[in-house]
Amino acid sequence: MSIINYASREIQFKIVYYGPALCGKTTNLAYIHQRVNPQNRGDLVSLATAADRTLFFDFLPLNAVVIKGFVTKFQLYTVPGQVIYNATRQLVLRSCDGLVFVADSQWEKMEENVESFKNLVDNLVRQNVAIDDVPCVLEYNKRDLPNVAPLNYMEYVLNNRKKRLQSFEVISSTGQNVFATLNAVSQILLHKFSKQSEVTQATPPPVAIPVEPPTRTPEKRSAPV
Amino acid sequence: MNSIPVLTVKDVAMLDGVLGDFLKKAEADLTVVIDRGGNVISQFGDMSVMDVTIFAALAAGSFAATCELARRIGEIEFNALYHQGNGSHMFMNSVDDDTIMITVFGADTNVGLVRYYSVAAGQSVAAILKSLRHAGHGFTFDASDISAAPIFADS
Repeated sequence: MSIINYASREIQFKIVYYGPALCGKTTNLAYIHQRVNPQNRGDLVSLATAADRTLFFDFLPLNAVVIKGFVTKFQLYTVPGQVIYNATRQLVLRSCDGLVFVADSQWEKMEENVESFKNLVDNLVRQNVAIDDVPCVLEYNKRDLPNVAPLNYMEYVLNNRKKRLQSFEVISSTGQNVFATLNAVSQILLHKFSKQSEVTQATPPPVAIPVEPPTRTPEKRSAPV
Repeated sequence: MNSIPVLTVKDVAMLDGVLGDFLKKAEADLTVVIDRGGNVISQFGDMSVMDVTIFAALAAGSFAATCELARRIGEIEFNALYHQGNGSHMFMNSVDDDTIMITVFGADTNVGLVRYYSVAAGQSVAAILKSLRHAGHGFTFDASDISAAPIFADS
């Protein structure tokens, strides 16, 4: 949980990018670091292996003035996606205020997406938090690749629940919809703390903001989350 | 409606008093109080040498990782950690279940002195934070106070 400091008039929020190995979480942060105004960001810190695989986490601090009279600090983290690093993912998830679940859109990664989402839900439960209580958006990444599942299938597999999440088609390597995703989760978590939060949450979020119309047909099926 | 825990100006002044006194006695350079998620709660000393936000994130990660190591050998946690450098050193101690205190010091003092005074300082900080939690202050704002424009722009 973040804390507000009236003396320095600062609010801090922690947003975690979660998802399977090699889905593009670090690429999201690298693009944001590259493109955001340098005055509004700190250094991108990556605790990675020699092969550039995330070992502990990536971290990028961002500043913004989005609430009257306060500097709002957003701390972006990624988790290591590899299955063996679950203990590390639990540590990074601690005190998280918002979540971006990054899914790899390729057909062959669908099972890993489902497993990773289940792992996210499980790790939140271990902290006595329900996924529906955390501001969260879905990011369907790598939409530029030739072997991606169609959007409606991604929605069926990862967003098939009573409370649907806002979702985005993203190409993190070129930056398409990377900022749209970040802005969406930031707005959702800010409104969670506003006095009109109940009213805001009653409005269903738009689902799957596209980068291009999906045209491909499904080739195989995975069970929904 | 959710609310954000609040540190009032008075709370910050109390924390600054404790931390300032600790730094003076221990002859250390700076100290930062963070939660275990990596959020900065309070800081005191010369912060110009580093980005406190990054420092807090890395320290929280380091402390959390060693807690897991402690559990592997049957401990609940290592409640204090010391990182020794050539000129600057770092001492981290657990304040309470949610909070860690980090102290950076140089050749003017030694780890024993820092460790000795950090115990009382940690207890004072814990008492202040406990009273905050019991006071139940919470900050909320109007939705109209939130900027409608995209928060971050792709420049």
